[in-house]
Amino acid sequence: MSANRFLATGNFFTDYRQEQRIFRTHLDRGMFVVFLACLFAWPLFFEASNRTMLVINNILIAVVAVYGLNLVTGFAGLISIGHAAFVGVGAYTVAGLARAIGATHPLIVHWWPLMILAAGGMGAVFGAFVGLPAMRLKHLYLAIATLSFQMIFTWTIKFMPTFNQGQMIPVGRVSWIGGTVGRNNHYFFWYYMILVVAVICGLAVRNLLRSRYGRCLVAVRDNDRAADAMGMHPGLTKVYAFTLAGFFAGVAGALHTYMFRGAGFESFTLHHSITYLAMAIVGGLGTLPGSLLGPAAIYTLELQMEHLSEWSGTFLPDSFNLATALRPLGFGLVIVLFLMFEPRGMANWWRICRSYVKLWPFRY
Amino acid sequence: MTYFFQLVVSGIVVGSIYALSALGFVLIYKSSRVLNIAHGQIIAGGAFIVYALTVFLGLPIYISFVASMVITFFLAMSVERIFLRRLIGEPIISVIMVTIGLMSILNGVIYLTPFGSMNYSFPEFLPTTPISLGGVSISWTQLMGVVITAILIGAFSWFFKRSTIGISMRAVSDDQFAAMSVGISVPRVFGLAWAMAGLSAAAAGAIIGNITGLNFETLGAFGITVFPVVILGGLDSIIGAVVAGVIMGLIQQFAAGYLDGNWGLNGTADVLPYIILLVILLFKPHGLFGTHEIERV
Repeated sequence: MSANRFLATGNFFTDYRQEQRIFRTHLDRGMFVVFLACLFAWPLFFEASNRTMLVINNILIAVVAVYGLNLVTGFAGLISIGHAAFVGVGAYTVAGLARAIGATHPLIVHWWPLMILAAGGMGAVFGAFVGLPAMRLKHLYLAIATLSFQMIFTWTIKFMPTFNQGQMIPVGRVSWIGGTVGRNNHYFFWYYMILVVAVICGLAVRNLLRSRYGRCLVAVRDNDRAADAMGMHPGLTKVYAFTLAGFFAGVAGALHTYMFRGAGFESFTLHHSITYLAMAIVGGLGTLPGSLLGPAAIYTLELQMEHLSEWSGTFLPDSFNLATALRPLGFGLVIVLFLMFEPRGMANWWRICRSYVKLWPFRY
Repeated sequence: MTYFFQLVVSGIVVGSIYALSALGFVLIYKSSRVLNIAHGQIIAGGAFIVYALTVFLGLPIYISFVASMVITFFLAMSVERIFLRRLIGEPIISVIMVTIGLMSILNGVIYLTPFGSMNYSFPEFLPTTPISLGGVSISWTQLMGVVITAILIGAFSWFFKRSTIGISMRAVSDDQFAAMSVGISVPRVFGLAWAMAGLSAAAAGAIIGNITGLNFETLGAFGITVFPVVILGGLDSIIGAVVAGVIMGLIQQFAAGYLDGNWGLNGTADVLPYIILLVILLFKPHGLFGTHEIERV
């Protein structure tokens, strides 16, 4: 091994196995472990209010969902304008079952990890179905297919008595080793659970991308005719990407239902699909750190906009509807500006900082 | 039987509105291969401009109708100029995502105006007693909507078939490089396509607003309902947009008339177009009149 595995200043790979490592250097691995340890340890040292925990949990759920969206839009190059609907499929797998067999049925409250997996599976099934046109068509049409799935989903939830016509369907409190998770440590408990899921999903995505299928995805995005000529099946690869995206979205949806102790249709509208897309774009399409940075940035932006509209409410007349206007305006501007000026997203800033530190004191 | 014919008449009215909304969408797709997801917001904007000019400034409604078309013409052109001109040459996926962002921005802008949350309706300027033919009735506003739609679509078809600019737009949609090499300015054609889409959107908005009243949700939703229409008709065909618009309008009216209330169904008119869309994508993806894309390496 000639290259320095502790602190590499460039690519010194001599075979493919080195290039496919999850962590390129020991420093990367070390930083990842420290980062994880911080994420797991901070709630023990700082007393966070329920409100803060709620926001952080929301961000982490969005991270899991954005992994999926990033697979489809970032790595496979297909626009999905219906990601919130896939999240909704997962959420309503749990909520619909809870309504059918009772909110505190053992299957719901004891076997909840199984339910989360089942929700992921259900999301995958729907993802595969919506992705089916990919066998014959290109990305343009898939955007429309996902959009229409979003509309069908919203209609189904709103008009079907099975789903309580879109009203909140309650889900019972889950049990853990020490008994039922109570009101006081509900958010605390789910913080750890969602964190574990998010870490597993993140590693899974990273692992996928160095496997044959992950490289297929990127090849099909870059040039599907060339990929076809190399012996890959572009159509199947795209369906596969949609299936995986559906799975991640389904898992995120189940987590959403358990954390909010119920599901209502207003969390899974077209507006939310656009928010997920904004997260993926702001974070950086086709990058893994982007899936973490995007949701955090968008939720921060949302909080700031809430503050702004609260503050403006003190001197603006009531008829001037700033609160509802700011959200779409802000998200739209963020999407457009990032696409125009920084199409590689915040992950690119992260990359620039890293390489600056790595090469310091030299410029390049 | 009267009920059936009544449904047919209102289906044709709704369908012609769909056709007019789809027209602007097809114009943009035809020339630049961009799906304009913000089309519904432009439709709503056009309708609100007509209202603002008529009620706030007190102009006669016909003049404000034309003025609104002129304003959206330039508005859409500047949208193309500001946001999309610099993205020529970028992957088409990022251009489509920019239109998604635009939809969000325009939503926000409209929410800032009083039109975002309230309902308005145009002042009456046509006779209010509907025309009745053997039990089937059609109101004057609906009749006028159909007539204006027919005139506009006729004008646009003529424009594409005969005029020099129309022919150059067709050339660009066929092959950008070849068009450039014979001296057609591709960016100008794109700008013009957006401008004309804005113009037709304002007309559609004014007609819809006249029939259903001005509500942002309803008007903006037309930008999404247009998708099933254009997919059924074929994304790049004007005649397809007309035929598919009428078919979709009829399907919706029949669904609302015969399905709702039976078998516990409700609001089927809202969802049926999208189900049809998914089925078409699976079995006849290029629609009724769309051109098949053949890829050669």
